[in-house]
Amino acid sequence: DVTLRLAHWVPAQHAVQITGFEPWAESIREASEGRITIEIYPAQQLGAAADHFDMARDGIADIAYVNPGYQPGRFPIAGLAEVPLNFANATGGSRAFDEWYRAYVEAEMPDIHMCLGFVHDPGTLHSTRPIRVPGDLSGLNVRPAQATVGRYVSLLGGANVQASAPDSREILARGAADATFFPWDSIFLFGIDSVTKNHLDLPLYVTSFVMAMNRASYDGLSPEDRQVMDDHCTTDWAERMAEGWAVQEASGRDKAIEAGHELYAPTEQETAEWRASIAPLMEAWSADVAATGADPEAIHTRLIELLRENGALNE
Amino acid sequence: MLARIETLLLRVSRGVDVIAGICLAVVTVVMFTSAVGRYAFAAPIPDGFDLARLLLGVAIMWGFASLGLRGGHIEVDLFTTAMRPSWQRFFEALATLIVLGFTILLAWKLNDRALSAWRSNEATYDLRLPVWPLIGLIWLGAVAACITTAARLIRLIRGGGPIPEDDPA
Amino acid sequence: MSPADWIAVIGFLALFGMLVIRVPVGIAMALVGVGGFAAVVGWRPALNQLAISPVRTITDYNLSLIPLFVLMGVLATNSGMSRELFRAGQAWLGGLRGGLAFATISACGGFAAISGSSVATAATMTKVALPEMRRAGYPEALSTGVIAGGGTLGILIPPSVVLAIYAYLTEQDVGQLFMAGLVPGLLAVAMYMLCVRFAWRRDLPAGTPAPWSERFAALQGVWAVGLLFVAIIGSIYFGVVTPTEAAAAGAFLTGVIGVIRGRLNLRLIRASLVEALRTSVAIYTILIGAMLFGYFLAVTQTPQKVTAFLTGLGLGPYPTLLLILAIFVILGCILDAMAMIILLVPIVYPVVTGLGFDPIWFGVVVVMTVELGMISPPVGMNVFVIKSIARETSLMTIYRGVLPFVVTDLVRLGLLILLPALALWLPGQMR
Ligand code: NA
Ligand code: NA
Repeated sequence: DVTLRLAHWVPAQHAVQITGFEPWAESIREASEGRITIEIYPAQQLGAAADHFDMARDGIADIAYVNPGYQPGRFPIAGLAEVPLNFANATGGSRAFDEWYRAYVEAEMPDIHMCLGFVHDPGTLHSTRPIRVPGDLSGLNVRPAQATVGRYVSLLGGANVQASAPDSREILARGAADATFFPWDSIFLFGIDSVTKNHLDLPLYVTSFVMAMNRASYDGLSPEDRQVMDDHCTTDWAERMAEGWAVQEASGRDKAIEAGHELYAPTEQETAEWRASIAPLMEAWSADVAATGADPEAIHTRLIELLRENGALNE
Repeated sequence: MLARIETLLLRVSRGVDVIAGICLAVVTVVMFTSAVGRYAFAAPIPDGFDLARLLLGVAIMWGFASLGLRGGHIEVDLFTTAMRPSWQRFFEALATLIVLGFTILLAWKLNDRALSAWRSNEATYDLRLPVWPLIGLIWLGAVAACITTAARLIRLIRGGGPIPEDDPA
Repeated sequence: MSPADWIAVIGFLALFGMLVIRVPVGIAMALVGVGGFAAVVGWRPALNQLAISPVRTITDYNLSLIPLFVLMGVLATNSGMSRELFRAGQAWLGGLRGGLAFATISACGGFAAISGSSVATAATMTKVALPEMRRAGYPEALSTGVIAGGGTLGILIPPSVVLAIYAYLTEQDVGQLFMAGLVPGLLAVAMYMLCVRFAWRRDLPAGTPAPWSERFAALQGVWAVGLLFVAIIGSIYFGVVTPTEAAAAGAFLTGVIGVIRGRLNLRLIRASLVEALRTSVAIYTILIGAMLFGYFLAVTQTPQKVTAFLTGLGLGPYPTLLLILAIFVILGCILDAMAMIILLVPIVYPVVTGLGFDPIWFGVVVVMTVELGMISPPVGMNVFVIKSIARETSLMTIYRGVLPFVVTDLVRLGLLILLPALALWLPGQMR
């Protein structure tokens, strides 16, 4: 019998554990007739959030929940998923991301075995003052969600203020930041709703996640057990992993409306401005990927294709 | 000869202090300036966050090297103070040997960490500057700590007294 | 017991063994952490924890306020602020019977307002106040006891390194915790003064009142302390800056004020940086060890088991709380305050919050409990610091002097448990 340690960094009550990791682990236990037990270590119990890739690589955890955007520069290809205005939803989006990134993960994360990848429900900008067009970010202090969005903020003339999700309320309340990138319900989860009453009503960005498995842990499984894991490391499971959490996050938008917050839906022309604003970001992304010897053009086209196929393209 | 090595060691240890102290001073100034820039002009120092925290890491690891020679860690000395002086010296040497063992392990693994940062292109948030040089400095601090801790151990075994407090002049 | 339980027990024994032979607390925790993780998970992953975790700890932005507040206190000492505080206390309170002891307490409270550390407060006050009290014929036990007790204000009155670490470990708001410490800190000042008045009423030398001109002159010396405290704590209270920014500004401005007043030169600044760094490294070493030790405990599920055990006793909230505090007080007799917080808070915090106690209030309660440990025999850090400066004074004398303050602390702890509002009212006023 094997026990696999699954490490992540959000609280044990978080939707991704309740509706994602737990049913997944239970399904693995059943499929393996009890041979495989997944032990979940939430809340950075085995290491810091940004170290989870290394923890899977080094065997500190057998499986780790990795946000590739926590380490700028390290996983340039994965960064494309985080470029704003590509993803329309989390379910089809997760299918597209999983299938898309599988083709490149060997090149970009050769030290681990990728189980699956998914994205969260599209989030947006929540701010203490109205933000309507990209130009409004100029001169603002913004908490980015991950490195790609951080670069986007810089390119728009804003300043990045880094803080973990739990620390975000404090920096917004103290005026150290004027806006934050978050999925919708997270602003209620972290109590930020009392500070940020303005929301840009646009599926602006997603953050991508990879369930990374230690190579030796994977290779060391018996053939039957490996088959069980393979059956649970699929595009279908990527979607299921994202689903429950996405429903929860999406409900945050209704909560904001109910609470009388200011939701601003950009006009057609303003939306076009938002679309145009990612051009310099895409240039920077292409340069990064080209530097690794990969073909940014083809990689980009492929993601758009898959998003369209899965009904998740933000058009 | 030994006296000259001793003098050299003290000089090295003072050099370690200076490096660590300068890092702490830079951290303070960067964080202050960045905060003022943010509130007054909405323009913090680009990468001020990463620069401050990584330099602080450098300062702490070089400071760790400084304590390698002088001691100054938090210890429980309730039990040893009750012992005969010869036993006290024995246990102090043993404890220092354990500290040295830990420091060598740490330096070894920090070398892995710096190499990993180098290979994987880990970069800062704003300007995408590579972080491996600063992680490398942290590793060098751990190497310096191995040297200073070894020096302390040798001094203890040879029966040298406590390290003279350096005159800041 | 499962194999993991046995490994955990052996781990604690190994930790204790290393502490006994004076291996630094942080390094003992790190070694047991790595060794224990190896026993449960394997050697390679355990050693790799050494590659990942220590770098993360020392480069953690959220901890940077610790060295900065330490540096601020050292710069304040080296630019003579503690002496000025004592002078002001002496000018205003010196006329009372036992006035120098009152002056010492108030100077400790004032210094605590700009320094994050207890030990630093005790050390600087030993140099400043002890010679004066000796000259005026104060009993040595009283003089050293009042400094040891007053020194503990350093971690209660904000800024506080210990509260900052508690906030870090429990993901609570540092600003709120700082504010929660203020009222209990002021209460401590008042109760220490009453303690002096009653415990030593027969031995207190008469005072020598200072002329009014001297009183106002003395106040001019302390404007810098007042300005720094108001700027730092005020800006945290009103939500103008984050505590980390306040720490950077505090260290920076204390240095600038010292230079402008001609109190600090390059040599003293350099010495201050080195001293602050050494103190900080001692704290960071424990933090590094605690993180590694924590991963070991996590894979053995020890915190969950302790929680299950303590809640399984079915004692109810207050008896369980008192049991936990009793453990703190007993361990505080031999363990360092910082080490105790870092070792025990992650284990007991889930129990205490699970019982429905307020996390901010518990932070203040914990700080007051470890404060007690800093002056309780046989290992009291503040007592040792005083002893290291006043070498000719016997430890017994100092402990005798400290005893009334230990009793006062216990009374104050009881008050805080009965009246949580003492801690929670002020942070409740923040936005
Ligand atoms: Na203080
Ligand atoms: Na004690």
